[in-house]
Amino acid sequence: MKLYRLNSVSWQDSQLLYHALPRLGREGLILLSPATPYVCIGYFQDAEQEVDLEFCREQSIPVFRREVGGGAVYLDGEQLFYQLVIHRRNPLVPEGKEAFYRRFLQAPIAAYRALGIPAEYKPVNDIIAHQRKISGNGVAEIGDTIVLVGNLIVDFDYEMMARVLRVPDEKFRDKVYKTLHENLSTIRREIGEVPPREALWSLLADKFAEVLGPLDVETTVDGEWRAKTDELAARFLTEEWLYQKKRPTADRAVTIRAGLQVRQKVHKAPGGLIRATTEVEDGLIAAVSLSGDFFFYPQEKLAALEAALVGVPEAEAEAAIARFYEEQAIESPGVTPADFARVL
Amino acid sequence: MKIDRFEFPDDLYYDREHGWARVDGDVVTQGITDFGQAIAQEIVYAESPRPGREVEQGQTFMSMESGKWVGRIKAIVSGTIQEVNEELEWEPTLINDSPYEDGWLVKIAMSDPAELDGLMRADSAELKAFIEGEMKKYADVLAE
Repeated sequence: MKLYRLNSVSWQDSQLLYHALPRLGREGLILLSPATPYVCIGYFQDAEQEVDLEFCREQSIPVFRREVGGGAVYLDGEQLFYQLVIHRRNPLVPEGKEAFYRRFLQAPIAAYRALGIPAEYKPVNDIIAHQRKISGNGVAEIGDTIVLVGNLIVDFDYEMMARVLRVPDEKFRDKVYKTLHENLSTIRREIGEVPPREALWSLLADKFAEVLGPLDVETTVDGEWRAKTDELAARFLTEEWLYQKKRPTADRAVTIRAGLQVRQKVHKAPGGLIRATTEVEDGLIAAVSLSGDFFFYPQEKLAALEAALVGVPEAEAEAAIARFYEEQAIESPGVTPADFARVL
Repeated sequence: MKIDRFEFPDDLYYDREHGWARVDGDVVTQGITDFGQAIAQEIVYAESPRPGREVEQGQTFMSMESGKWVGRIKAIVSGTIQEVNEELEWEPTLINDSPYEDGWLVKIAMSDPAELDGLMRADSAELKAFIEGEMKKYADVLAE
């Protein structure tokens, strides 16, 4: 298989090249980094709902919709991308999605380990170290190929990531920032000193060769590939492509890593609007903040209700709230434990 | 007709992409089989094409996401998309819960009925052998 070691490329090329290669029916492993930052949204996302587009415009941060799924991410040159384009009938491709991720994520995992970072695979598509995510990955079928995209994260701008997202309020943004900071790590945070970029690329290439077999190195984009990339630019860089309406939703959810989500749900109960910002980890409520324009007596018990929900399985939230109501003699006209359970 | 624990209604046609076709005159309703939804796992998004679009048998024409994976769906026959199941945009798990009824994908006004001859029938040895082969390949996924 060909290895395209392209190092730093324009932000557009950092996405378009891997969309173009499979459309030519070609396989290859692409290693590259974007020269400038941008925001990249998942194929099924709605740009206006997910991204603070006004802020991005002010800061001249472009926004791109990829054909790969997942959520909005802030990408920059401190992330080393690997983009594997492999034919679905290549004998190296196992049956099953998890098996596919498990096999090919061995390469970035081995690269992290060689750096002294105890990386491990977390199904379906994460790599974690010390329980923190350290690489984001996604797959899309394009033509007859399967495309795996992911990154080694040298450094991460947590603040910017939290800033570019469109969020219901600053409290939610703060929660996203803190949860990201606690649950996403980087090479710099793990080992302090970062090896030279060239050494990291070589390491990643070597580890992929262990999984894919010998790789034939190219350092440039050939004419056919360039032409297809430019052709795609005419479609993927348009507002029509970016702003196409996808499934609308009143609720917001940001997945930090598999099994960990920060979300906000809103529900109009007869007694008023209830809003909950919740952090859910592996099915358990890890933190919750309740607000809205409902009445709740005694008022000071609302914080106690939030505390009482920590550690409760999502599915048992309603029973836990009902129990709290009874024990604390809560009165909330027009708002029942079931209404609260709906926003968790 | 059941192959192992998977249902394959007798009146439908099947392809090797885990699609089914229900024929009503010149209109084919396309969906994903019970086996197909089982190996796809929980479907979190499904994006339908616009009615009026021309499709060719075997050509990808819609996308869905499941298991952190954006997969493409191929048209089971050639023709023009007549109707799409708009419910899927809101509730894609209908494909998992009701693959042969509420979870249908599209209706295609068929341009070449002869294409049906290339598809498999529920009671054929070909479908049975195909599904049994797929069950071996996806044994790990099906065991979950």
